Amino acid sequence: MLMFILDILILLIMPFLMIGIIKKTKAFWSGRKGVSLFQPIWDFARLLKKDAVYSTTTSWVFKFAPVVGFASIIFAALFVPLAFGQAIITVPFGFVIFAYILAFGKFFSLISALDTGSSFEGMGASREACFSTIVEPAFFITIASIAALTQIYTFDSFKHILNGTGIYGYLIIALAAVTLFIMLLIEGCRVPVDDPTTHLELTMIHEVMILDNSGVDLAFITWGAAIKMFLFEALIANLIIPLGLNEWISLAAFLLIVILLSMLIGTIESSIARFRMTHVFEFIFIMTLTALLILALVTYRIYGN
Amino acid sequence: MEYLVLSIEILLFGALAALLVKEDFKLKVCSIFTLFASLTALYPAGYVLFTGETLSGYFENTPLFGEILLAIDPLSAIFVAVISVMSLLGVIYANGYMKPYLNKGMNTSSHCFFLMLLLASMLGVVTVQNGLFFLIVWELMSLSSFFLVIFEGEKKDVLKAGIKYLIYMHFSVIFIMAMIALLANASGSFSFGGFTEAVAQNPKLANIAFLLAFVGFGIKAGFVPFHNWLPDAHPAAPTHVSGIMSGVMIKTGIYGILRTLLIIGVPSKFVSYVVLVIAVISALYGVLYAITQHDIKRLLAYHSIENIGIIGIGIAIGMLGLAYGNNIVALLGFSGAILHVINHSIFKELLFFAAGSTYIKTHTRNIETLGGLIKKMPYTALLFIIGSVAICGLPPFNGFISEFLIYAGMLQGIPSSEMGMFITLVISIGALAMVGTMAVLCFSKASGIMFLGEPRSEAAADVKGDVSSVMILPMSILALFTLLIGVLPQYVIKFIMPPVSQFIGNQTALPIFESAISLMQTVSICFAVFFIILAVFLVIRFFINRRYEEHCTWGCGYNRANPHMQYTASSYASPFISTLKPLFKRVSHIKKPKELFPKDAYYELEIEDIEEAYIVNPIVKWDEKLLAKFERIQNGNMQQYILFGLIFLVLAIIRLIIWG
Repeated sequence: MLMFILDILILLIMPFLMIGIIKKTKAFWSGRKGVSLFQPIWDFARLLKKDAVYSTTTSWVFKFAPVVGFASIIFAALFVPLAFGQAIITVPFGFVIFAYILAFGKFFSLISALDTGSSFEGMGASREACFSTIVEPAFFITIASIAALTQIYTFDSFKHILNGTGIYGYLIIALAAVTLFIMLLIEGCRVPVDDPTTHLELTMIHEVMILDNSGVDLAFITWGAAIKMFLFEALIANLIIPLGLNEWISLAAFLLIVILLSMLIGTIESSIARFRMTHVFEFIFIMTLTALLILALVTYRIYGN
Repeated sequence: MEYLVLSIEILLFGALAALLVKEDFKLKVCSIFTLFASLTALYPAGYVLFTGETLSGYFENTPLFGEILLAIDPLSAIFVAVISVMSLLGVIYANGYMKPYLNKGMNTSSHCFFLMLLLASMLGVVTVQNGLFFLIVWELMSLSSFFLVIFEGEKKDVLKAGIKYLIYMHFSVIFIMAMIALLANASGSFSFGGFTEAVAQNPKLANIAFLLAFVGFGIKAGFVPFHNWLPDAHPAAPTHVSGIMSGVMIKTGIYGILRTLLIIGVPSKFVSYVVLVIAVISALYGVLYAITQHDIKRLLAYHSIENIGIIGIGIAIGMLGLAYGNNIVALLGFSGAILHVINHSIFKELLFFAAGSTYIKTHTRNIETLGGLIKKMPYTALLFIIGSVAICGLPPFNGFISEFLIYAGMLQGIPSSEMGMFITLVISIGALAMVGTMAVLCFSKASGIMFLGEPRSEAAADVKGDVSSVMILPMSILALFTLLIGVLPQYVIKFIMPPVSQFIGNQTALPIFESAISLMQTVSICFAVFFIILAVFLVIRFFINRRYEEHCTWGCGYNRANPHMQYTASSYASPFISTLKPLFKRVSHIKKPKELFPKDAYYELEIEDIEEAYIVNPIVKWDEKLLAKFERIQNGNMQQYILFGLIFLVLAIIRLIIWG
C-alpha cells in the first residue's frame, strides 16, 4: 500500500520537478541562476485560479478535450512500471492499451485544436498527427521485438532483456533507450523537434495546438504533457534498472535516472536549435531505423547459429 | 430453418409490394417487410450461435431448380445476423434520406424493388450450400446492387461508376466460377460438402482453389489491387445503399474467403503469406488514400479498403496459425477477423449515415466547404465523432477490441515461429500500428473540418437544424453498439466462439477461448477504471473555477479572422502527403497570377489512385486498342450481319458435305 501511494505521488509530483530540472539545466548552461525547481508547481496553482476564456467558435469538444486528454494520460500511466518496477495494472498486451489510450487522448486534442477554427492550431494539429504516424510503428516494432525476445507481453519485458542474451542484451537496451528517448522528445515536443519556449507560432507544434486553452484547462494540459514525458523517462529507467534490486535502491535508481534524463534534455535544448520542419521527419526516421535494428538483433539472437 | 426461408420470402414479397403502393409509402412498406424479415432471420441465427448446432433445410418448389439446400452453420449465422440488423437500420435510415427524392420523377419503385432483392440475395449468398445456386444468388446480389448504385443514373459520373462496378463484379464472378467449376469437376457434384471431400482426396486442388477464390471474393471485398470500384461506387450510390454495401455487402466477399477456407481445410504456408502481404498492403493503401480524399464518401470508401485489410490481416494470422499448427494464434486471428467484420459493419454504417445526413443538409460531399456543423447538427456531429473514434480502433470503442485480438494473435505467434514468419509478424505489427495512427490523422481531419470551426461556405452556414429523428435513430443504435462491444467484449466474443471453432475444432478451441474471454474481461475492467478516472476528472473540472469569458479565437492580435483563414483539409493532410510523395500521382492545375493587378488565379491539386493510373488504365487502354480491331466486324450494319450468317451457314454446309 505504501508503495502504491508512493508510486501515485511520484507520478503526480515528479513531472513538475522534471520540468523544473530541465529549466534549471538550461539556466545553468546559459549562466543564469534560473527559477526555483518548484516553479512549475506554482505556475500550475496559479493557472488553476485563473478564469478561462473560450472562443465563440468552439463547442463542447473544446471544453471536453483537456479532461479526456488528461484522463487518458493518467490511465496510460497505470500500465507503466514506475519507481518499484511494478505497474499498477498488469494486463497481457498492456502496451497495446497504453499506446491506444494515448492515441485516444491525442485524437481529442487534435479535434479540439480544429474546433477553434484558428489556422495556427490546425497547423499544429496537422504536424502532431503526422509525426505520430511515423512514431507509433517504430514504438510497436521495438516493443514487439523485446516481447518476442523475453516472451513477456507487458512492459515488464524491459527488465528481462538481459536474461541469457549476453552482449546483445546491452546493445538492445541501448538501442531501445535511444528509440524511447527520441519518442520522448517527439511526444514531449522538446528540442530538436519542437521548441516549447519559442514565441513564433508558425514554428510550434504542441504549444500552438493549445493557444486558445486557458485557465484550468491549460493547467491540466501542461500537467498532462509533463506526465506523458515522465512516462517515457520511466520506460527508459525500466530498461536500465536491472532485475532483483532492493525496492528502495530501485526507487533511488529510478529517481536518479529520471533526474539524469531531465538534465540530458536540458543540455540538448541548450546546445542545439530545433530542426527545420522538413528535417524533423529525418530525425524521426532515426527512430524507425533503431527499431529495425532492434528487430534485426533480436532475430539474430533467436535464430542466429 | 423454415424461418430463414420465410425471411427470404418476406423480402421478396416486400419487393413486389413496394412496386404496388404509392410513392410516399414505398419505403415504409419496405421497412415493415424488412423488420419482419430481419426478426425471422435473426431467430435461427441466434439459435445457431447460442447452441453451436447447424440448421439446414430446403427452399422448396423453386421453378427451375427444384429443391435447394440451405444451411445455417455458425459462420453463416454471424453473417445472417450482421445482414439482418444492418439492413434493417439501413432501410429505416432510407425513410429519412430518400424524402427529398420522392415525387420528383425519380425511379423509386425500382430502387425499393432492388433494395429488397439485394437483402434477400445477401441472405441467400451466406446460406446456400450449392455451388451452382451460389453463383446465381451471387450474381443477383451484384446486379441488384448495380441498379441501386445507378439510382441517380442521369448524372454522368454516377453511370460511369455504376458500369465500372458492374465490370469489376463480373471479373470477380469469373474467378469464383472457375473455382466452383474446378471443385465441381473434381467432386462430381455442386454441393459444398462434396467440395470438401474432393479437396481432402486431392490436396493439390487446395492452393489453386483458394487463390482463385481469394481473387474472386477479394474483388468484392475490395482488397488492393482489386479495390478500384469501391471509391467510385460508394459516392455514386445513395447513402443508405453505400452504408449497406460497405457495411454488409462487401463482407460477403470475406464470407466467401472464409467459406473456401473451411472447404480446403488447413491452408499452406505460402498461401497464408500471400494473404498476409495483400492484407497489409490493402490496409496501408486504403488509409493512405483516405487521407488524400476530400469527398467524404470517397474517404469512407477508402477506409473500407483499410478495414478489409485489417480483417484480412486477422484471417491471414488465423491461416498462419493453422498452417503452423499453432491453435492459439489461429483462434486469436480468426476471432479478430470475424469480430472486425461485425465492428466494421457497425461503425462504417454509422459514418456513412452521418455523412449522408450532412449531405442532405448541405448538398455537398466536399469537406473543404463544410465546417461548424456541430452547432447546427449536434447529434449528427456527436455520432460522427463516435464513429470516427471507433473506426480508428481507439479504446474504449469496438474497433479497439478486434484490433487488440489481432495484435494478441500476432504477438502470441511470434515465439514459436520460423524466422521468416517472425520478421513478417513484427513488421505487420508495425504496419497495423501505422494504419491506426494514419486513421487518427484521417478522421481528426474529417470530423474536425466537417463539424468544427466556422462554416466554410454558405451551404454550411445556411443549415437549419439537425436531420429528422428517423435518421438519428438508426445512427444512435449503431453508436450504442460501438460502445457496448467496446466495453463489454467478453459477452460478444462468446458469439464469435462457434464460428471460430469451425476452423480449429471444438475440443481445442474451448480452453483457449476461456483464456481469451478472461483476457477480454480484464480489458473490460481496465475500461471501467478508465471511465472512473474520466468521471473523476470531469467532476473535478466541473467544480474548479467554472467562470469563463467568451472571445473570438486568438489570431495573434488580429481579431477579424474570417472562415477562409481556417486550416483546410488539404493543408491538414499536406505534411503527411509530402513526406510520402512517391506513393501518389499528383496532378496539379495551376493558373498563376499575371499582370499588375491579377484577377483570377487558382491552384488545384488532384491526387489520383496510383494503382488505377499505372495498372488499370494502361490495361483498359490496351484492351480498347485490341477491341478496336474488331470494330470492322461489329459495325452495326444489318446487311453485314446477315452476310456473316450466310457465310456461317455456307461453311457449316460445306463441313457437313465434306465430313458427313
